[in-house]
Amino acid sequence: MSRIEDIGIFNAMREEGLAKVLPAMPRIAVGMGTCGRGNGAEGVYQALSHAIDRDGLDIRLAAVGCFGACSEEPLVSVWLPGQPLVILRRVQASDVERILNDLSRGRITPDLAWCKIEEWDHITAHLRYGQGFPELPLWSELPFFSGQKKIVLRNCGLIAPDDIDEYIAVGGYQALYKVLIDGKPESVIEQIKASKLRGRGGAGYATGIKWEFLAKAKDDRKYIICNADEGDPGAYMNRNEIESDPHGLLEGMIIGGYVTGASQGIVYVRAEYPLAVHHLARAIDQAREYGILGANILGRPFHFDIEMVEGAGAFVCGEETALIASLEGFSGRPRPRPPYPAQKGLQGKPTNINNVETWYNIAPIVLKGPAWFTEIGSTKSAGTKVFSLVGKVQNTGLVEMPLGTPLTKFVYDIGGGAAAGRTVKAVQTGGPSGGCIPHEMFDTAVDYETLAQLGSIMGSGGMVVMDEDNCMVDIARYFIEFTHSESCGKCVPCRVGLDQALEILNGFTKGTGTAAQLTLLNELGRMIRDTSLCGLGQTAPNPVLTTMRHFRHEFDDHIIAKRCRAGVCHSLALSPCENSCPLHMNIPRFLDLLKEGRADDAFEAVFLDNPLPASTGRVCQHPCDDRCRRQTVDSPVNMREVHRFIADAVLLTDRFEPLAARIAARKKAPTGKSVAVVGAGPAGLTAAFYLALVGHDVTVFENKAEAGGMLRYAIPEYRLPKRVLAQEVELIRRLGVKFQFGAGVGSAITLNELDEGFDAVFLAIGTWKESWVNLPGTELKGVLPALPFLESVATGTNPALGRKMTVIGGGNAAVDSARTAVRMGVDATIVYRRERKDMPAIKEEVDAAEQEGVKFLFLAAPHRIVGDARGNVRALEIAKTRLGQYDSSGRRKPVVTAEIVRLDCDAVVLAVGETVDLDFARASGLTLREAGTFVVDRFTLETSRPNFFAGGDAISGASNVSNAMGFGKKAARKIDERLMGAKRFAGLAGGFQYSMEPPETTSTSPRHRSAELKPAVRVAGEDEVMVGLTDAEAGDESCRCLRCDIRG
Amino acid sequence: MAQKKISIRIDGELVPALEGKTILEVARGAGRRIPSLCHMDGLKDVGACRLCIVALNGGRLVPACTTPVQEGLAVTTNSPEIAAYRRMIVELLLVERNHVCSVCVSNGHCELQSLATSLGVTSVRFRYRYPSLPLDLSQERFVLDHNRCILCSRCIRVCAEVEGAHVWDMMGRGIHSRVISELDQPWGEASTCTNCGKCVQACPTGAMAEKGWAVEEMVKRTAQVAGAAVRKGVSL
Repeated sequence: MSRIEDIGIFNAMREEGLAKVLPAMPRIAVGMGTCGRGNGAEGVYQALSHAIDRDGLDIRLAAVGCFGACSEEPLVSVWLPGQPLVILRRVQASDVERILNDLSRGRITPDLAWCKIEEWDHITAHLRYGQGFPELPLWSELPFFSGQKKIVLRNCGLIAPDDIDEYIAVGGYQALYKVLIDGKPESVIEQIKASKLRGRGGAGYATGIKWEFLAKAKDDRKYIICNADEGDPGAYMNRNEIESDPHGLLEGMIIGGYVTGASQGIVYVRAEYPLAVHHLARAIDQAREYGILGANILGRPFHFDIEMVEGAGAFVCGEETALIASLEGFSGRPRPRPPYPAQKGLQGKPTNINNVETWYNIAPIVLKGPAWFTEIGSTKSAGTKVFSLVGKVQNTGLVEMPLGTPLTKFVYDIGGGAAAGRTVKAVQTGGPSGGCIPHEMFDTAVDYETLAQLGSIMGSGGMVVMDEDNCMVDIARYFIEFTHSESCGKCVPCRVGLDQALEILNGFTKGTGTAAQLTLLNELGRMIRDTSLCGLGQTAPNPVLTTMRHFRHEFDDHIIAKRCRAGVCHSLALSPCENSCPLHMNIPRFLDLLKEGRADDAFEAVFLDNPLPASTGRVCQHPCDDRCRRQTVDSPVNMREVHRFIADAVLLTDRFEPLAARIAARKKAPTGKSVAVVGAGPAGLTAAFYLALVGHDVTVFENKAEAGGMLRYAIPEYRLPKRVLAQEVELIRRLGVKFQFGAGVGSAITLNELDEGFDAVFLAIGTWKESWVNLPGTELKGVLPALPFLESVATGTNPALGRKMTVIGGGNAAVDSARTAVRMGVDATIVYRRERKDMPAIKEEVDAAEQEGVKFLFLAAPHRIVGDARGNVRALEIAKTRLGQYDSSGRRKPVVTAEIVRLDCDAVVLAVGETVDLDFARASGLTLREAGTFVVDRFTLETSRPNFFAGGDAISGASNVSNAMGFGKKAARKIDERLMGAKRFAGLAGGFQYSMEPPETTSTSPRHRSAELKPAVRVAGEDEVMVGLTDAEAGDESCRCLRCDIRG
Repeated sequence: MAQKKISIRIDGELVPALEGKTILEVARGAGRRIPSLCHMDGLKDVGACRLCIVALNGGRLVPACTTPVQEGLAVTTNSPEIAAYRRMIVELLLVERNHVCSVCVSNGHCELQSLATSLGVTSVRFRYRYPSLPLDLSQERFVLDHNRCILCSRCIRVCAEVEGAHVWDMMGRGIHSRVISELDQPWGEASTCTNCGKCVQACPTGAMAEKGWAVEEMVKRTAQVAGAAVRKGVSL
């Protein structure tokens, strides 16, 4: 090892390095960044090292940095001479023997192989590994890497960070050599200016101009500083860059030092990054040994050295004047600018500070020229930026993308979208200084200006993805808590303002906030932003201001309704299951009552929470399952089946009478107020029950012959037997609810008559119009909308379907139609334009349909319906679709292809969604939305007409039974509040004593499922498919509850 | 260095100024009132209280005390927005610690109190923090009451820059910041303290006071200390 004095030695060094990167023997490199180590890379490395020593293998083993794919760590790259470099993923120490075994036979362990690299553009050099392994995808073909352009990360994960030879081998220090030999610092500054490189720390100031200031400043001593005080939650780009390629940083800084005339460089790095500190210290030592740092660098008359200083971890020290104060030994408090550091910086000397990533861009720009650089990225923001993509996406890691790439590319293409069953809600860019961007704005280009327009910033590149499990109020609170604890305390707006903002936000998450505080918070946020001394305070309100702008409804939920939909704010919910339930059933209570053997109390408790417990116990979409914490142990508690069991045990037995009496006994004294409920569906029945319970005189107007709405007329007998529903309706009737059947509002009775005759009116008319599709052939005989089809079966008139039927749609109505047809001896096929996992229908129902012989055709959009001369349906032609871009629902949009398939059939059922009866809605004179649903106050459910309330599908559009009932329950509460001027619902369902001690043990049994009839038996009749839990099963299931409702 | 004569516009009016002076100096020299708390003539400005914010060319808000004038600059010293922000800053200072005027030695002679009056802060919209803070009575002649401290750092600067003792500094950060003598010793045990009392005179509120005065009786000789500081010429 000797000092590099001339180009001959430099080239010799390069050859030596290449012999390490591409040796004459196999090379195995283990990704040993902090992320790799955290996932067991050290064990893998030791196992490899041990096995290679033990067997005396001719293999070169290297420890490299991170290749960026955090969710696939530990990564190991394997190279056989002449072959592509193969990246293995999720390698554990136990895999080592297999890997070596396969390698000895020239093979790559197939189940670990992820992708291959045939050649690599190090920007400063081009490396050809070789070709082969046709079965493996190229790295750039993997979604995670698609579109990535690695300039800053050019060497990360490929070369050993602790070996300067490998850095030189891939073209390292060439740019420095070129600059020193050319000896024209001004032209380098011109190049940087022409490249439009902007500061990567977040503010985006033009780097070339900043350098020019320093170059022009006249002083005996000038400094350049690398700001590596990366402290945003969720951001770790700089850590990985320094860990994986420390020489890339040094080279950029030495060039910067030369062209600006600085004699000393300082890297201010967080002490919490021990591996980065270690690698950087070693790199500095090596560079000094090689004559790349110190006096007479590379044999030229240029002296420059770099010192590393470890910061103590204050976030504010990322602010340049605070950083300088910290370097000078003072506490990290910023000072006002001007004077700017370029005039008066460290020790009062001219100083230039750039972010880590800015420095990494220097060598490539010097070698490739500014024109190459400006071609990458957008007009105003050239080049690439490294982002740490973390949070609720499937693929997390460091991604380097050209600036100007739209957010949707990050979230869906690279990140792979949210986990199954979840949807992405927002992305927080720029950490605590940035803002939240809602998913409706994901076509936003990620560059400095566009993000700033949305009230966010690019920052250092943190990108935290959030889904519906994240509460935006809590997110705002979290970031303010962070900046609050990191505020230096010097200026009043940041010191006291953030403290008050945190106080207000804490109140919101606890349900004690007021609307006046929301206004005050907005004013306070703007004041802190506009008047704070430094960047920390000026940007700290961004998370609050952007969430208030884009997620105002969540703030309103917390302040007005005292609800947190995400279930994050514990004070606002009893338990995760209760919070997810549209009816807010006290689920732990009925589970415990059943567990204690108090079946009657359990029924009473269930019925007071949910007046259709047996029906919902059969058909609810059970959102509670998704939230149940028991699933972190094994699988969620089967809450739906347990309340069905509790309800069946009373409704269908001789216990009905005594319990009906018990519930009727809870009825409050008559109020003398009367309420009309229009529609006897789930929303109407629920509202009627509660309104009667609190003592109002309730009349339900229904234009059909029986009560139940969709439960009665759309859901088939085999899912919900009519006698079960009838018992529930009977119990509601016992409370004194009057029904008028065949009384269509608008025909038999007018709204004005209702207004005159009643103190309040609740409109729960549902969505009974089947959406029509714009499709040739819908006029043919045999084309049936799903609802009329299901209704005619439910009323006993079976329409003729022929032998074969196709159903268009993917919701519950589609599945119900197909299963009903199968029971009528008809061959049924469901045609759906997306994939199976995208079907809105309940998964269990889809599975059951398949067992019963229903066929499915996915990725198929209807093209036209073909008829014969007599006008009868003969076939449905469908166009195959493929999945294209992600739409605003986070699902990929089906794109129709030219491939047409003909399905012969005698009937076509259209189940593409239901809408409000527009004729009625328009005639009502109430204010409507475009879709025909009623406009209501979200919190009171009041319509535009005084005393008229609306709920259920009529305001939300077609939804499901439990959502409709949730509206019914809420409407009853709001109507009562309006009529009585008091909140009387609290404690309405109370009065039960049950254990509030945490259970000492819970049942270890897996989830109990209801027994089902065999498919062959099912299709032969209309018998209920789900038999229900047995006594013992229900009892044991209730013992599986972890009792999240007990706290403290 | 001879300072160049320039002119700037303050609230639309052309005002002559010397290059290198701050907006606050020029504006006050021209008879404008811009409220401030952490500024004291003769001391280095720190831009901490943010009360002297003014709008540059009708837009960006900057502190007048640390922003140098430039040829052609147009400054707006007050607007509904600026006034609202200033009121909010005073509100925040009032809720931060325990400012109970009725029992304060500086009642009637307090800069924070008179600012609240002149800015029209009649009530606060924020929650009082009521922190539990100590009183340092260990010094023979003076008392330090953290309950009335607004962290303006005038005591720290006057001690370091004018007296040259640097007894005071700031510890902690954020809302937990607190003025300390030496390395958080009781004031009475601070060996570097010269007993000069400049800190007490520089203090805008009742946080530092001479012993022996009752409510309303402590009248500070701030102008006198500032005059001495200006003569010493330490600022900028």
